[in-house]
Amino acid sequence: MTTSHVWAAVLFTLCVVSPSWAQAPGPLNAITDVPGIAVGHYTATSPSGGGSTGTTVVLSPGSGAVGAVTQRGGAPGTRETDLLKPEQLVEKVNAVVLSGGSAYGLAAADGVMLCLEGKGVGFPVGPSQVVPIVPSAILFDPGRCAPFTFRPDASFGMAACQAAKGGPVQQGNVGAGAGAISGGSTGSKGGLGTASVVMGNGIIVGAIVAVNSSGRTFDTAGNFYAGFLELGNEFDMVAPTAAGAEVGTDSTLLQNTTIAVVATNATLTKAQALKVAQMADDGLARAIKPSHGVGDGDTIFAMATGTGTPASNNTVNSIGSAAADTLSRAIVHAILAAKTLCNAKSYCEQFPQNCPQP
Amino acid sequence: MNVKVACALVCLLSGMASLARAQVPGPNNAITDVPGIKVGHFTGAPWTGTTVVLAENGGQGVAGGVSQRGGAPGTRETDLLKPENMVQIVNAVVLSGGSAYGLAAASGVMQCLETQHVGFPVGGGNVVPIVPAAILFDPGRCGAPFNYRPDFNFGLQACTAAKSGPVQQGNVGAGTGAVSGGVKGGIGTASVVLDDGIIVGAIVAVNSVGSTFDDDGNLHAAALELQGEFGNLLPVKGGPKPKNGPPAAVPGGLLKNTTIAVVATNVELTKAQATRIAHMADDGLARAIKPTHSPYDGDTVFALGTARIKMQSLGDPAFALYRIGSAAADVLSRAVVHAILEAESTACYQSYCDLTPNACSNGKKGAQK
Repeated sequence: MTTSHVWAAVLFTLCVVSPSWAQAPGPLNAITDVPGIAVGHYTATSPSGGGSTGTTVVLSPGSGAVGAVTQRGGAPGTRETDLLKPEQLVEKVNAVVLSGGSAYGLAAADGVMLCLEGKGVGFPVGPSQVVPIVPSAILFDPGRCAPFTFRPDASFGMAACQAAKGGPVQQGNVGAGAGAISGGSTGSKGGLGTASVVMGNGIIVGAIVAVNSSGRTFDTAGNFYAGFLELGNEFDMVAPTAAGAEVGTDSTLLQNTTIAVVATNATLTKAQALKVAQMADDGLARAIKPSHGVGDGDTIFAMATGTGTPASNNTVNSIGSAAADTLSRAIVHAILAAKTLCNAKSYCEQFPQNCPQP
Repeated sequence: MNVKVACALVCLLSGMASLARAQVPGPNNAITDVPGIKVGHFTGAPWTGTTVVLAENGGQGVAGGVSQRGGAPGTRETDLLKPENMVQIVNAVVLSGGSAYGLAAASGVMQCLETQHVGFPVGGGNVVPIVPAAILFDPGRCGAPFNYRPDFNFGLQACTAAKSGPVQQGNVGAGTGAVSGGVKGGIGTASVVLDDGIIVGAIVAVNSVGSTFDDDGNLHAAALELQGEFGNLLPVKGGPKPKNGPPAAVPGGLLKNTTIAVVATNVELTKAQATRIAHMADDGLARAIKPTHSPYDGDTVFALGTARIKMQSLGDPAFALYRIGSAAADVLSRAVVHAILEAESTACYQSYCDLTPNACSNGKKGAQK
């Protein structure tokens, strides 16, 4: 082999191998791998019935992150999604709130606004006066082994905001995923999941999701629809088994919703962030079947923290693709981390061979 | 005069009379002329407040739609109103001061309605009230503390106070602190009854960057007056031809405004039809306020159909929609004028009628003084 052949071989290897380098999770495998992004949960358990609900807040650093949303599920409950439209004045969001409680849970964002105002964080409207920009979406969990009136309020948002920090993010029955279920009575306990990826060009993409879907995330044999997107061995012991059957979900279960945030350290315009949110939404489709159903208020927010020159079209494309995969993986993490609660059996209780033994 | 000419004249006059009959305000000239609509205000200490519009048909909510075209909106539950989304009803719409903080008022309205078991049923006798909301920017107006703003309690109070009948206008509810193009803004309402029993009403909180009158002081929407409702406003000078200078420079670099409104009709609408009505009604803002839908205005218009008249009883539904939407735009324009005429001067902002006494001297406000 001549020298030039060696170099050709090296180049070939680099070209083939680098895409896998370009797909490594961040150190925390969490949305907090995106610098400056902080996550706070507040979880409450009902003294009567043992059911849980809660609120998760994703804070963006400094003056905020350029924000966008895609809202494609059929039964949404949202706040401040109109201002995210690319043609509207305000460009940056200070926080996104994911919460249980159905539409009542939108009150949690009130608490997050007061929390941020207390820190002087928000859109400046006068001397030391701010209006925090806090879009929000909710999922349906009221009345699950708890009184129907057990739901997040402003105090949940305040507590989640005060608890927000960088570093590892707790998953499973926590925050907005505390009372979540997935796939109706034939499915599993839902929950909160997160994931990240570090792309070859130094761009980091993270996702956090509260999975409360009418659709399922795995077939009857326990194969995750998004299992093929695993990076490294992040899904731990999950091994493909003989293909299982797909099962329908209870059509009467119209009280669901999966809500998520994807974040990146790239610099995006609002319109580019919208494209990333739309592409990320496909990650929901790959991990949950069906998704965006009539009773799912599926809503995906995007946050871009960069402050440089807006990304090129190619980069937006790569970030959107990575965001979709990261969101799919976060969904698998949510289901793997969920614990049996009330009458919702966890995936790991149904398929213990695919999970570490407690 | 021969017989033919006399007949032609009579026919023409009777035709004009029937056209005029087709455009009369309802008994209260208010959105509450639409059966199933109630309005409640809660006016806080100066300068902010909350207005709620409750809507029901046989104890259930009604179809709703929204047009959100202003550049700086603050909203709740507008995604839910998209025609493709599941929930088909709205129980209330909240208009509130307080900028985005004021969205909290909707939580109070939700609690008020839940205790009355009003909402979207979700099983076990439980309901989730469907309460879209939009806010306007008024915090810190006229020396008020920036953190004095509508909260949960404002919504609860406004909902508890909601009733049919006459609707208070001017410096009340969501219009308490409102400012419009440099003069005092406020709450206005209006209605119209069409000759086949269609009723359309509107309520608006006018807090616009743009002005509702030209440089001479003539209200842009004065021509839409029905039955002397504006008190026979006098053209100030130069006649009705609109005259407008370029927008003034922005003091401090940021204007903080927003006009928010609800239009309602007694006709049965689908969500898609309600959305079309909201879009057509939005043009009523454009005709009454100049400029409108600016980067600094979060202008948002909701539409509701209380379903007392079946759409199928009105013939071609597209044409019925066309008539309702057209009427909704005019009613909303007139409600904007009412808001400006009923607003009262504060220590910081003159009212239109105090600024332009010649226009109002022959009018309702002038007559009251």
